[in-house]
Amino acid sequence: ELQGAPTAPLDAVCQDANKDYVIVTWKQPAVDGGSPILGYFVDRCEVGTTHWIQCNDTPVKFARFPVTGLVEGRSYVFRVRAVNKSGMSHPSRASEPIAAMDPADRARMKGHTTAPWTGQIIVTEEEPVEGVVPGKPQDLVVTEATKNYVVLSWKPPGQRGHEGIMYYVEKCVAGTDSWQRVNTEIPVKSPRFALFDLSEGKSYRFRVRCSNSAGVGEPSEPTEATVVGDKLDIPSSPGR
Amino acid sequence: VKMFAVTEGKHAKFRCFVTGKPKPEIIWRKDGRLILSGRRYLLYEDREGYFTLKVLYCKQQDNGVYVCAASNTAGQTLSAVHLSVKEPLVRFK
Repeated sequence: ELQGAPTAPLDAVCQDANKDYVIVTWKQPAVDGGSPILGYFVDRCEVGTTHWIQCNDTPVKFARFPVTGLVEGRSYVFRVRAVNKSGMSHPSRASEPIAAMDPADRARMKGHTTAPWTGQIIVTEEEPVEGVVPGKPQDLVVTEATKNYVVLSWKPPGQRGHEGIMYYVEKCVAGTDSWQRVNTEIPVKSPRFALFDLSEGKSYRFRVRCSNSAGVGEPSEPTEATVVGDKLDIPSSPGR
Repeated sequence: VKMFAVTEGKHAKFRCFVTGKPKPEIIWRKDGRLILSGRRYLLYEDREGYFTLKVLYCKQQDNGVYVCAASNTAGQTLSAVHLSVKEPLVRFK
């Protein structure tokens, strides 16, 4: 054990697990090693493998972190390490395994699995016509905001167009009118999103657009300006 | 393998119903090569729950065997069809 490093964080627990992210919470270590804890690193490991992957590049300060980039339907365990100026703690005990899936799907599973079955593929010819672009997403809200991340959620539009909708999230520094697309590569399929890499102290507004094969729709009403900082408006983290 | 024909210049929509728990991951392949979403390929799950591949503005090079492969922790399976793109009745030159 490194002299002066904190002891391991405690009680890594998964909350609000769905197919897009799992919020991991924990309790701060009993011993900080003599200097303040600068933050935490969260690691994930797919159940059935022994390969731990660090989820955040910079330490997070609060005992709470939304892990993204999970494969839907796969199960993961999480552990947390604390860091101070002397070094890194041992990892916490791993959390209970949790599957990256929506609660309704998890309830339907009831613990058993069945191998996939694929039906006959049916091919149809379609006339290339201009499709219907989906309307605006509704009721966009910031559900969590810390200096490390912001979580957004919204409702699908009334006007849906033909097929599956995907979403693009945009951010804008408050006071300007320069909107920037956040998820340029990965379209979001469900009505929620966790954003990282915002500048601390800056104030942002967010909005969301729907898209389908016909094109990209009008943006939702933007959120109120949200300051990126250590101001938490969430249920208090365990151990605080 | 079942054969379907579409007319050059039209869209071809492939629909495949898939079951399995946990929800399987789906990949589409054409002649063994992975199909990625792009300008001419749309991949999505439609409102009835069918996994769907749409090939836009079919060309002769879209002829081939298309496979929908599903896998989850319990296993894997696939379905295949052959697409042939026929020339339009009236050719504009």
